[in-house]
Amino acid sequence: MLVVSNVTKKYGKLVANDNVTFTAEGGEVSLLLGPNGAGKTTLIKCISGLLRFTGSIEICGYGNKTLQAKRYFGYIPEVPALYDMLTVWEHLEFIARAYSLENWEGRADQLLERFELDDKKKKLGRELSKGMQQKLSICCGILSEPKVILFDEPMVGLDPHAIKELKNLIVEQKQAGNAVLISTHMLDSVADFWDSTNIMMDGKIVDRRKRREMEAAGENLEDVFFRITKREND
Amino acid sequence: MKALSYLIFTQIKNRILSLKKKPALLIFYIIIFLFVIGSIVTLLFFGKAQESKPNADDRVLFLFICGFGLLYLYTFIVSGLSTGSSLFSMADVGLLFVAPISNKKILFYGLISTIGKTIFASIFIIYQIPNLKKSFDYSTIEVLGLFFIYIVMIVFCQIFSIGIYLFSNGNQARKNLVKTLLYGFFGVLAFSVYMIIQDRQVDILEAAKILVDSKWFGYAPVAGWSIMFFKGLLEGTVMQIAISLILFIGFSVLIISLLTAHDADYYEDVLYSTEKTFQMQKDYKEGRNLSGTVNRKIKIKDNENGIGKGKGASVFAYKHMLEMKRVSRFVFIDSATVFFAAGAAIAGHYIKEDVYGYIVLSVLVYLQFFTTVLGRLKIELIKPFIYLVPESSFKKLIAASFTSLIKPCIDGFIIFGAFALTGGASLPQCFLMALAYSSTGAVFVGLTIVYQRVLGGQPSKILQALISMILFIAIFTPSIAATVLVSILILPDSLKFLTLLPFVIVNYICAFIIFYSCRNLLDNTEYSEGMSLPVR
Repeated sequence: MLVVSNVTKKYGKLVANDNVTFTAEGGEVSLLLGPNGAGKTTLIKCISGLLRFTGSIEICGYGNKTLQAKRYFGYIPEVPALYDMLTVWEHLEFIARAYSLENWEGRADQLLERFELDDKKKKLGRELSKGMQQKLSICCGILSEPKVILFDEPMVGLDPHAIKELKNLIVEQKQAGNAVLISTHMLDSVADFWDSTNIMMDGKIVDRRKRREMEAAGENLEDVFFRITKREND
Repeated sequence: MKALSYLIFTQIKNRILSLKKKPALLIFYIIIFLFVIGSIVTLLFFGKAQESKPNADDRVLFLFICGFGLLYLYTFIVSGLSTGSSLFSMADVGLLFVAPISNKKILFYGLISTIGKTIFASIFIIYQIPNLKKSFDYSTIEVLGLFFIYIVMIVFCQIFSIGIYLFSNGNQARKNLVKTLLYGFFGVLAFSVYMIIQDRQVDILEAAKILVDSKWFGYAPVAGWSIMFFKGLLEGTVMQIAISLILFIGFSVLIISLLTAHDADYYEDVLYSTEKTFQMQKDYKEGRNLSGTVNRKIKIKDNENGIGKGKGASVFAYKHMLEMKRVSRFVFIDSATVFFAAGAAIAGHYIKEDVYGYIVLSVLVYLQFFTTVLGRLKIELIKPFIYLVPESSFKKLIAASFTSLIKPCIDGFIIFGAFALTGGASLPQCFLMALAYSSTGAVFVGLTIVYQRVLGGQPSKILQALISMILFIAIFTPSIAATVLVSILILPDSLKFLTLLPFVIVNYICAFIIFYSCRNLLDNTEYSEGMSLPVR
């Protein structure tokens, strides 16, 4: 569903992503792990079509910057970017109209209820706390029912209830056959449902693992992550 | 004190060392430095070129000092009534306030760093040395004295603002008292000017000059004290200089004493303003305080909660109209429209020559630049949605620019309609001025697009400013050149009112070319969240 091939992103002399290649399959939760500055956010932004890069990225068989691809993916940024002068409900209406969605109101209500925003429908974007903004950002990213969902540090700033709901939502997306890519530092928060992991260091993917391979070898995510990142540092 | 001096010197050292990685900024500082040196050399070596002060009226400079003084006094008192002023940064709050260092020493550190920043920010006065020499033939001591009193004025106002906050925080009666005194003070000044006009039969400017030159005005807070200091310097009266400094220092010491009285627990008093300042800076970086937003509380009724129209790209235009409606119930006509129209009407009443009409247009276009370039399209470009929505880049660009293109048209006809009504210019000329205003609006929207196309992902702020300037000049050169050529070479006197027509036509052509050539902007440009670093 998501195919990233030889993606390189440079800022002047700084190579943020260096010839990155990986895939994320439908029905799988893939992780992008790595220390600060590894290039995870840059890669997610490249996949979302927000940055220029060399190489190729395909979403459901379409180039990531094509209109078809845009219909198939949802992006939840690390820092929620909302409109100050739109209410919670209007953000969802805006997404629905922009993506030409039909019969979206029921789904929007459900999402708001799940994330405990149903009583905040008339609140303006600027009046929301950081956590509420993050929840609304998640609702906006999910509303169009994307096939490929890109999360950048989705748990940051969320309360325990919202974290639980988000985890459930991710599992539901996986069960529905969608591809979920999560960039995160919080290994514990994704330990229950990940299927494959890509560990990044200095802009490169230094290791790729499938969960079943790792479990068969008697390893766990945290140990592998620290071993690899330490080895790379040495 | 070791930690605090370490902090000050290390920050200065690191700021200087960081220039190695920012050559454009280094060049900018070198240019500033050369300007300052050049100005000082001018002062020292050509200081006695003119024996007498040619047509010098010191009172003009007193008026400027008074203007700055009153502006700062008003601004800082108003800020003191709400948040107070802050001598600290959020890093100071997080790291210094909790450290085992004396509160008084930390306050002293805050004062020292504020004075340092103020000196750096006030360096523009040094540039004025050649002008001051040319107009007033001031000596080195006099110009440096002006520089000194300007810094004293700002630092005092910041301390005064904290004092006002301490006095009035949480006490509405005291807030009202401060407001009454403030507006009463300005009322007394206005009444004094009126009395001088009546008494001496002079115009308003001359009356203002007489007022600021009067002896008693020297005791007026901030503005008067500053003028007293500078007059003392010019006249060589030590007493005046001393009284002025005693007033500034005395009140500062009094406020600082109040601040550090008892257990010197002033942290809470400066915390709110520090957080507020930090939030404002953060908002600026994230583009949240660009034009088109308001700070007042907005209550949304049930029947107002919804965009209501639009599908695909067009939803951006409808969303903008909804946002504008939240700012002003008349959507396209907001307080700026009314303010500019009122200004144009007043100008039209007093100005009857064509050339002044063009000056009014130029001033309005200058202001329009900021409201447009930092307007709704810019807000859209620093949020990810416009890049993600599955519609063609061209459609999204047009929809996201729609309100920014329409508003200058409506504003133009209202503003220059008011100008025509009060007799500022003939109706045909005002019509063309309105068209010209609309066309510059279109060009500024185009400039926003070009900036994003050319500067998107460009991390150097200096380079951004430089390229912006070049683009601005490049885009307006054809229309201005066409106007000048046509009006000089082609138009007969009877058709001079058509002078702006080439300007309008060329502007719209330029805007169209920009839109068309940048139609794929959203597919090719880089998204950047405000001014944050691109790599994380």
